[in-house]
Amino acid sequence: MAIEKRMYKIGDELAPLTKHMTQEAINHFESSGGAKGPSQFTDVETARSTLGTKGTVASGRMSLTFTTELLRRFFGAEIYNRGGTVDMRFLRPVRPGDSVTFSGKITGMSKEANGCRVTVEVTGTNQKGDTTAVGGGSCLVPSGYLPAEE
Amino acid sequence: MSHAEGPDHRKLLNWDELVIGEQLPTLDYVLTQEMMDEFRLGVMDPEAAFPTISQKVDVRPYHLVYRDDGSVNARCSFHFYNPPVAGKRIVVHAWIADKYARRGKNYIVTEAVSVDEDGRLLDRVITHELKQPSEVGKKWQ
Repeated sequence: MAIEKRMYKIGDELAPLTKHMTQEAINHFESSGGAKGPSQFTDVETARSTLGTKGTVASGRMSLTFTTELLRRFFGAEIYNRGGTVDMRFLRPVRPGDSVTFSGKITGMSKEANGCRVTVEVTGTNQKGDTTAVGGGSCLVPSGYLPAEE
Repeated sequence: MSHAEGPDHRKLLNWDELVIGEQLPTLDYVLTQEMMDEFRLGVMDPEAAFPTISQKVDVRPYHLVYRDDGSVNARCSFHFYNPPVAGKRIVVHAWIADKYARRGKNYIVTEAVSVDEDGRLLDRVITHELKQPSEVGKKWQ
């Protein structure tokens, strides 16, 4: 089966991804990892005593997973899931009721032994316009997915 | 992170004495379809391929050894090699990768690699945790 060739260039923008956070989603995320007891993510009182916040916050790993989805949609699961990276710093909390939009653009491309590493910078922004997370990721795109060199 | 009931024999974290490179207990678990389904509900993505993200397999081994005042995830990165398969046993090797102080706050960095029962390398995770969670709570009101 022929491989569909992909074209990348620095400055290309990724289609933004918006997620609407709910306490139910946070509870599912924590429970899926085996965390069944109260935590700063699932219990208001624990969040108050541990963080000093008025309510629960979402784990930074949820924003990390949303960034992963953004990158996987852009590169394609067949290559991102086998050569992708993601690296995010969490600047502000994401709370139940927040909507966070993740956007990104290509900032670098470099040849490696088994393909081309395409690097993307990513920003997460909430409904107020505040930046909640910054960082990015990359994907090793095998040479077979790229146009033949001249 | 909560701990099982009964006497808590874990060490109280002494950040100054924490040794970079310390190996943490090996973790193993079976990834079930239910875990995968619930993870996908949580992240609202039916194609999410790495439910290992919510397993927090780098900080869980840390909490088997240490107790502390809690933490806030400041930075996290993943390297993806192969999507895990439901029903397979996953073995995790974790260690203390780094520690640093910035603006008067102490951070520790844990790292872990997951491999399944067939020897497939799944992913690698690196997490930076701030060990004074109330410090960020002051800003997050």
